[in-house]
Amino acid sequence: MEVWLFRLLVVAAAALFVRQMLVRYRLLARAPGALEAPELAPRVRAFVSEIVFQSRTIAARPIVGIAHLLVFWGFCAFAGYTSVEALRGLGIIDLTGTAAFHAYEAALVPFASGVLAGITLLAIRRGVLRPRALGAYVSKESLLISAFIAILMITFLVDAADAHAGVAVGGVPLERVNWWTHMLVILAFTVLIPDSKHLHLLLSPATVFLRAPILGTVPKLDFEKEQTGLETVGQLEKKQVLDAFTCVECGRCQENCPAFATGKVLNPKKLILQNEEALLAGKLDLPLKDLYDDPALWQCTTCGACQNECPVGVEHLPLIVNARRGLVSNGEAPSQLVPVYNHLERRGNIWGLLSEQRQKFIDAAGVEIFDPVKHDYVVWLGCAGAFEADFQKSLRALFDILKAKQVRFGVLAKEKCNGDVAKRTGNEYLFQELATSNVADLNEAGVKKVITSCPHCLKTLGHDYREFGFEAEVMHSAVFVEELTRGATPIPGVPTQGTVTYHDPCYLGRYAQTVDEPRALLARAGATIAEPERTKTNPFCCGAGGGLLFEEQETGQRISDARYEQLAATGADTVVMACPFCSIMLKGAQASAGKSGAAGAADKPIAMTDLMSYVADRLPGVRDGAPPAAAPPAASPPERSGEPTS
Amino acid sequence: MILVIAEQKDGAINRASWEAVAAAQTLGGPIRIAVIGSGATAAIGEMAGAKAEGVLTVDHAALASYTADAYTHAIAELVTAQAPDVVVAAHTYQARDVMPRVAARLDRPLVTDVVGIQAGSPPVCVRPMFQAKLVAEVVPVGPAPHFVTVQIGAFRADSAARGDSPAPVTTVDVTVPADAIRQKPEPPFREAKQAVDLTQAPRIVSVGRGIKGEEHIQLARDLAASLGAELAASRPIIDAGWLPSDRQVGSSGQTVAPKLYLALGISGAIQHVVGMKGARTIVAINKDPDAPIFEIADYGIVGDLFEIVPAMIAELKKG
Repeated sequence: MEVWLFRLLVVAAAALFVRQMLVRYRLLARAPGALEAPELAPRVRAFVSEIVFQSRTIAARPIVGIAHLLVFWGFCAFAGYTSVEALRGLGIIDLTGTAAFHAYEAALVPFASGVLAGITLLAIRRGVLRPRALGAYVSKESLLISAFIAILMITFLVDAADAHAGVAVGGVPLERVNWWTHMLVILAFTVLIPDSKHLHLLLSPATVFLRAPILGTVPKLDFEKEQTGLETVGQLEKKQVLDAFTCVECGRCQENCPAFATGKVLNPKKLILQNEEALLAGKLDLPLKDLYDDPALWQCTTCGACQNECPVGVEHLPLIVNARRGLVSNGEAPSQLVPVYNHLERRGNIWGLLSEQRQKFIDAAGVEIFDPVKHDYVVWLGCAGAFEADFQKSLRALFDILKAKQVRFGVLAKEKCNGDVAKRTGNEYLFQELATSNVADLNEAGVKKVITSCPHCLKTLGHDYREFGFEAEVMHSAVFVEELTRGATPIPGVPTQGTVTYHDPCYLGRYAQTVDEPRALLARAGATIAEPERTKTNPFCCGAGGGLLFEEQETGQRISDARYEQLAATGADTVVMACPFCSIMLKGAQASAGKSGAAGAADKPIAMTDLMSYVADRLPGVRDGAPPAAAPPAASPPERSGEPTS
Repeated sequence: MILVIAEQKDGAINRASWEAVAAAQTLGGPIRIAVIGSGATAAIGEMAGAKAEGVLTVDHAALASYTADAYTHAIAELVTAQAPDVVVAAHTYQARDVMPRVAARLDRPLVTDVVGIQAGSPPVCVRPMFQAKLVAEVVPVGPAPHFVTVQIGAFRADSAARGDSPAPVTTVDVTVPADAIRQKPEPPFREAKQAVDLTQAPRIVSVGRGIKGEEHIQLARDLAASLGAELAASRPIIDAGWLPSDRQVGSSGQTVAPKLYLALGISGAIQHVVGMKGARTIVAINKDPDAPIFEIADYGIVGDLFEIVPAMIAELKKG
């Protein structure tokens, strides 16, 4: 009787589970695209680190993360116990009396204690502390699940301690009450999983494994196949559908999003949850622009914080860029981008300036046109290097350093914008035109190694151009110069004025994970570094990426103003930057700050400078008139190891 | 004979129509200038000053406000009656709307956006193609008349030859049947967004963060007044609320191309530069000799604007 009742319940729970999962499976099966996982090694590494050891869960929230780790490992450990008990209940086989099971049960006790401690902590956080990231209301279902998990552990501990021996409740032996409670909770849990955020238990190993190993991977569109980007819910690709069902609603993306932090409507978490809701409601024809809050899609700086902090492998960047592509292909780009696209089409640079200005700069700086026989490296100027007077100072500093170290380098006779703005804003056609043209020029010139001072050029040339047949090594000047100047010490007598804070560009710190080299360079130049809030691989964006350099009018606080405040709060006397976009934004923020005598307009304004300028002025043999090092290490240029840009 | 279609609004000739006259004159041969509208007396008088065989006035109540149908009808009838070899108009917004319709109605070729024209039968027209990546010579085919619109600024209005005595004015009657007009013009309006139109200002005095305080804006205002210039600013000044946003120059403000742009305490951030790089002469005053503004300035003064500007005002007042 008891066995049959349990069998019936197991079948019922399984049926309810399968029915809910089938709805999701069908949505996944009909979604376009494929679930592919090329390049196995980085995916396996990510899986071990992020799933087995929960590195992303722990990284930014250590206490909560470790509590979660305990629950996760406990769950894994308990799989065997639950199976054995279920087999017994179904009347198939009873292994509970074996010595092995007793040993296993004993070994589970610490796990159970860990889970119990972990879940108590998590429940208190969710129910009592209620951090903003988790949303405005307390999810009752989450608390119920917490209670379930706690009950599972308590019933297990009672069983393991044999505490129920001989005790009966209303004539029923406590052992049975305990067993049934345990099993009913398991069955209820099974039924609740598919329609809750706890589906991440089943899906997140897959989504983490399927996530592109390089941040910001947005494959090119194939115009031959008439691909134009995402327009409707039904066009969401398989991984995006999986992401929507996997999202665990932890809010790390939201809390790290610079747009959300400055009062804009964009909330990366909401985009994913809106996808889930629309998919389950079967609104496959609903345009994404009607699904999302306007203009959320155009408030993303593509800083990548959301995706990089997500513990379950959700990829927000390809979603946003692809949805932008869908809008741009219908002529729905925001008005501030229209002149930029025109400039890129007509003049090949984002500001619409004449190429003769670039030539003037090259002539004035006294650098040679690249010749593969004479030169080892190309210095890629980028739009800012070619046209922006302020950033040209940074390039002159780089040239001075390279010349002092006798590096054999040249610049290309002509360059077009690498297409970063076109790519990130979804003007894929324009991007491909620029990419194709640049790759042809680079390959024709015989370029094998590229140095650039612009992290956006680094990302595009070093990663996005791979799809266009460009295979040269691409490195940021910070990385190259760091290796070039190892062992150098600051010019004696140059005073180190106060402290320096370094603003990591998103496309360098987060995308390329280059955080040590700039700091090593600063230290070598004699700087004392004060780290700002949000730094290294999780910096707070300057607000320029994703085409927002051209927006200027922002709702809420300007992202650049927020970042400038964070940098100023370090009390540093100098802010050092390593990206032309960051430099434009943060200098603008400084100019706008302190309009009413607040920070920035103080007696001694914070010096805003570029990494290369800072270094060139402070390392010997560059600008101090001293002869170059007797045995120039650059006679054999430094060999880079590892992957060029990741 | 070459027929020029002149464009007028409320009796004022569009300056670009003089450029069309100049273009027509390079072809040699007699020229007639048609003024389309209703009661455009002043415009007729102005065009009579051109060196031309005659001015034709096409006056009809239905032509008082522009509609594509009425103007197409009137111009097509005029061209048919006059039988010119070439019809020339300036490539204005109105011409872009109406000239293709007229050419299509008469089944004759139209060459648009022409930057150069050589006499001949038919004339050889030069026009940019593929976003000015190449310049093509285009020869219209088939029987005359051939229609040509000339790019604004490609010919100089002041080079149009004036006649020794006013050209004779002839009235040409056209029939514009009311039922042929499908559009109903609304009263013209200007978008109120930009209360201050800096784009038309010949001289601009622009202030940046170097002005330091709201109380010093008056100094720049005084300089602007003594130069007969408009006052403008870079973004930080607008952010601070020291000047209204319609005075902002730059990528999120207005794009200006004055004859003189005087930048006071402006560092020259790229977003500002893209809004004023088209200025004929740029004069920059800035304390910081490394300020990027000096890279594009024609004249640069490294110094304290609070010393220099009062001296400039004093000097201007003398003159």
